[in-house]
Amino acid sequence: MGCSSSVPARSTGGLNTINSDASSATDSKELRAKLVLLGDSGVGKSCIVLRFVRGQFDPTSKVTVGASFLSQTLALEDSTIVKFEIWDTAGQERYAALAPLYYRGAAAAIVVYDITSPESFSKAQYWVKELQKHGSPGIVMVLVGNKADLHENRSVSLQDAKEYAEKNNMFFIETSAKTADNINQLFEEIAKRLPRPTES
Amino acid sequence: MESPTSAASRPDFYDFLDRMRRPAAADLFRSIKSFLVSFSFHEPSAEEDGRKVQAFLAEMEGAIRDHPLWANATNQEIDHALEGLEKYVMTKLFDRTFGTSAEDASTDAEISEKIGLLQQFVKPQHLDIPKVLHSEASWLLAVKELQKINSFKAPSEKLLCIMSCCQVINNLLLNISMSNDRTLSGADEFLPILIYITIKANPPRLHSNLKFVQLFRRESKLISEVEYYLTNLISAKMFIIDANARSLSMEENEFQKHMESARLATQTSVDRPSSSHGPPTSSARANQAETDIAGSKFPFMDSKTESLTPGELKQLHDLYRQVVNRYTLLSKALRKLSIDEDHLLDSVHDS
Repeated sequence: MGCSSSVPARSTGGLNTINSDASSATDSKELRAKLVLLGDSGVGKSCIVLRFVRGQFDPTSKVTVGASFLSQTLALEDSTIVKFEIWDTAGQERYAALAPLYYRGAAAAIVVYDITSPESFSKAQYWVKELQKHGSPGIVMVLVGNKADLHENRSVSLQDAKEYAEKNNMFFIETSAKTADNINQLFEEIAKRLPRPTES
Repeated sequence: MESPTSAASRPDFYDFLDRMRRPAAADLFRSIKSFLVSFSFHEPSAEEDGRKVQAFLAEMEGAIRDHPLWANATNQEIDHALEGLEKYVMTKLFDRTFGTSAEDASTDAEISEKIGLLQQFVKPQHLDIPKVLHSEASWLLAVKELQKINSFKAPSEKLLCIMSCCQVINNLLLNISMSNDRTLSGADEFLPILIYITIKANPPRLHSNLKFVQLFRRESKLISEVEYYLTNLISAKMFIIDANARSLSMEENEFQKHMESARLATQTSVDRPSSSHGPPTSSARANQAETDIAGSKFPFMDSKTESLTPGELKQLHDLYRQVVNRYTLLSKALRKLSIDEDHLLDSVHDS
């Protein structure tokens, strides 16, 4: 429905993003992964994904994708191809009860907070608990502190977030959707952590 | 070939029916017929019927792939055939499988009634829809797309209505973000608008339509983006069922007051036509006027034309417009339902 990515992201480091329909190489393992985004409204959930899907920021690029569902394919060095299907959720408190409909069956979840907002960090902890209770077993959970470019207004310390993530067995990273810092690393890390289909 | 006017899947369907008429398709057609007949031995049960249909469609996919009529067919052609098959089977089974349980009917009625009340006082700001996204034209278009959901019988066509509605909302969000140089906020803005549209549309039999699509749309097609948008409408439905003072950011007594007056307005409009108060005498006119203002659907039926005030005439004119609009929609829907599909289906079945 005209909502799939039309602009392939530029490759960064050891990671190549390719167009979803470009090739289905027979010798590589393909993985479809549902990824759900959780976090308070305004923490930049969808900016992170838009940045990932559109690649390096190009202010003139016209997005032809829906803003709440996006898909992007990543090729890893071990020749695994991961097709992320990214489900955004509404972050406002009034919609919190609906989240289970979205994270049901998700292979991975990104829980986002804003490093300048302690409220958004407590909200993130709420989502982590929710996912531990009701998420799919084995779901890959990642904690993301976004808006890292606003470090002069930081009110959630790197140390606190790191410790919290470690305690809950999560990967943790700070990103900036604005400068694209750590965006590709985030998705690459998730792709690596996804359980591989068992060889048959 | 005739150009079909409504659903995009029409050409597939004609092609499917056409192939099914050929002698070479006799074996396939027999399997389809015996599958349909097998339902008459069992009591309707949506979940059980859903499992059977899914298994049958999967089995037929293999049969069609191996069939001489589809020799050398591309994946897309096979897919078209399966779309045609799904539509054919589900149109035949529609009366048995669509919202037949008493529970479905009462859930539909409950949701529709709740929406009828919410419609009267829920505003965009109650759902966190920012002012910049207010667009009557786009919203109306999305409402119309969603309302079509009940005019189709095939799960794919119902789903198409949901997708079109969501597409209108997405286009609105994209256009506004581009023209105002505004960052897209994803689901934070999409879901609230979809909920608002659903409340405005009050789509007939919302629960049954969603359940029908979930159970009977081919499983291999209910994935990815389509699944995401379907999930959004399901969550809009849940939000509406549970909507209360807190979820609309209102004081409890404010919410109750709104609900109560909405209920009153609805009740008077429902009660009034059937109530047998006898013809109002001229002394009872003041009384009658009061009920009219309260929202009665059929006021002035017993009034004398020359006794109407200019204000009442204006009211009457508004009502006239409503009646004409509803009549037009209704007759359009009836026309669409009665001619093409049923006619075609019968012509195949009899051959």
